[in-house]
Amino acid sequence: MRAYAAQRAALAVLQLAVLSVLVFVLTSLLPGDAADMRFTETLTPEQVASLRAQLGLEQPAIERFVTWAGNVLSGDLGTSLISGGPVLDIVKASVGATLVLTLATLAVVVPLAVALGILMGTRENGRLDRTITSITLALSAIPDFVIAVVLVAVFSLKLGWLPATWVGGDLLANPVLLVLPVGVLLGRTVCLLSRQVRAGTINALHADYVVQARRLGVPRRRVLMRHVLPNAAVPGVQELARTGDTLLGGVLVVEAIFAIPGFATALVDGVETRDLPVVQGLTLVLAVAALVINLGADLVCNRLVPRTELLR
Amino acid sequence: MRARTPIAVSLVLVLVPLLVAVFGPFVPLDAEPGLPYERGPGHPLGTDGLGRDVLQLLLAGGRTALGMALGAVAIAYLVGGLIGLVAASTRHRWLDELLIRPLDVLLPLPSLLVISVVAVGWRASALAITLAVAAVNVPTVARLVRAAALDAASSPVVEALRMQRESWFGIHLGYVGRAVLGPVAADIGTRITLAVFLVASVNFLGLGLSPTAADWAVSVSRNREGLLLQPWAVLAPALLLVAFTLGFNLLADRLVHRTRRMAEVSR
Repeated sequence: MRAYAAQRAALAVLQLAVLSVLVFVLTSLLPGDAADMRFTETLTPEQVASLRAQLGLEQPAIERFVTWAGNVLSGDLGTSLISGGPVLDIVKASVGATLVLTLATLAVVVPLAVALGILMGTRENGRLDRTITSITLALSAIPDFVIAVVLVAVFSLKLGWLPATWVGGDLLANPVLLVLPVGVLLGRTVCLLSRQVRAGTINALHADYVVQARRLGVPRRRVLMRHVLPNAAVPGVQELARTGDTLLGGVLVVEAIFAIPGFATALVDGVETRDLPVVQGLTLVLAVAALVINLGADLVCNRLVPRTELLR
Repeated sequence: MRARTPIAVSLVLVLVPLLVAVFGPFVPLDAEPGLPYERGPGHPLGTDGLGRDVLQLLLAGGRTALGMALGAVAIAYLVGGLIGLVAASTRHRWLDELLIRPLDVLLPLPSLLVISVVAVGWRASALAITLAVAAVNVPTVARLVRAAALDAASSPVVEALRMQRESWFGIHLGYVGRAVLGPVAADIGTRITLAVFLVASVNFLGLGLSPTAADWAVSVSRNREGLLLQPWAVLAPALLLVAFTLGFNLLADRLVHRTRRMAEVSR
C-alpha cells in the first residue's frame, strides 16, 4: 500500500510538471494578447507597444515561463492584466461558489448513485432494474444545457417557485438558489455513476468468493455489505474521478446559465479578455484539483481492493 | 434476455437528425423574416428571437452541430487508434511506454477547458474546435484500443496462429484488428454523444460559433428567453440533438451487451 502510494504520488508530481508547461503553452498560443484586446480602438500603436513592454509581453515565451513557474512555486500566481489585482485574489473570490456547487452536487449524487446501482445490480434484469436502466440511459443523452433551459422555464418562469439566476448574496445562506443548478448537474452524473456501480455489483455477485461465502451460510446482508460493496465500489470510484470532468463541464454551463460568479465565469471572462495570468492561474488550479481527485480515487481503490496495479 | 428497445427505434433516432443535418441545407425554403417569436402562417415552427424562420434555421444548423462532433470522433480514432494499436503490437517495450505514458499525463486535463481556450483563441473556427474535441479524446481512445488489442493479442488464438507460422500482418490485422472492433464500436457510440455534448456546450456558452449562427446548440442558447412564448425555437433544435445522442446511446448499449455475451460464450 505504501509503496503504491509513493509511486502514484511520484507520477502525480510528474503530471503536475507537464501540465503546468502545457497550461502555459496552450494559453500563450492564444492569438492576440491583452494589450491589443484592451485598447486597440483608443491607443496609438506606440502606446500599445509601450504597454506591452510594461506588461512584459515582449519577452520570449521561455523566459516568461521560467519567471511564471518560479513565481507559482513561491505561491504567487501573478497579477491580472485587466484589473491589476493579484490572480490569487480572483481565485479566492471565485472558488467558493464553485466549490459549494460541486460539493452539494456530490453530496446528492454519490449516495443516490450507489443506492440505485446496488438496487439495480441485486435485481439484475428484473423489472425495477430494466426501468431504472432505461431512464438513466435516456437521461444521460440529454445535454446539461437543455435540461437547464427547460427546468428554468418550468420552475422559475412558469411556476415562479425557484429563482432563475443568482441575484447576489451567499449561496450557502440561500440554499434555494442551489436547487436548480444542482438539479441540472445531477442528471448525467447520477446516470453515469449508477451504471458503473450496477455493473460492479453484478460482477461481484457472480464472483467465486461471494458464491463461496453464500455457500458457507454467511447472511445475505453481510455478504452484500462486506464482500460485494467494496468490490462494486471500485468501478464507481474510478468513474467518479472521470465524472469529475463531466461535472466540471456541467459546472461551466450551469454557472453561465444561472450567472453564478464562480470559477467558470472568471475563466470565461479571462479567456475573452486575453487576461493570460488569470487564465493560467485558474487553469493551473483546476488541473491540480483534477490531479488530486485522480490521485485520491486511485488510492481509495487500492485501499478497497489492494490488487489494483499502477495505472494499468 | 431483457427486452431492449428495437434496433429500428435507435436507427430512426440517429438517422432523422443526421438526414436533416446532411440534406437540410439543400432544401429550398425561402421564408420571409417575421417578428420575433411569432407563430403563424408561413412559419410552421414559428420564428426565433431575431424573427427568422425556425424551420429554415433547423435545416441549416445541423451541419455544424453534428458534423463537428462526428469529425472530431473520426480524427480521435484515426490518431488514438493508431497509437493504441502500435503500442499494443510493438515488441519494443520502450515504444509502448513512449506512446502511452505521455497520454496518462494528459488524461486529467479538463476537456471543456481546453476546448474553450482553443475556441476563443481561434474565434468561431469550426476546424479549431473540431481538432480540440478530437485532441481531448485521443488519450482515452488510445488506451481503450491498446487494452482491447492486448487482450486479443494474448489470447490462445494468437498463440495458435503464431505456431501455424501465420505472418505478423496476418495475425495483427486479420485477427487482433477484428477483435478490437467490438469494444471500439461500443465506445464510438458513447464517444459521439460526448463529442456532441462538448461541441454543443462550447457553442452554448458563446465561446464557439457566432451567436447568430443557425447551429442547433446556439439556437437553444439564443432563444431560451423565449421558451414560453415560442417553445419550438428552443425545443425543435434541442429535440434533434437529444434524438441523435439518445439513438447513439441505445446503439452503444446494445453493442456493449453483444460483445459481453460473445466474450462469455468464447470463455
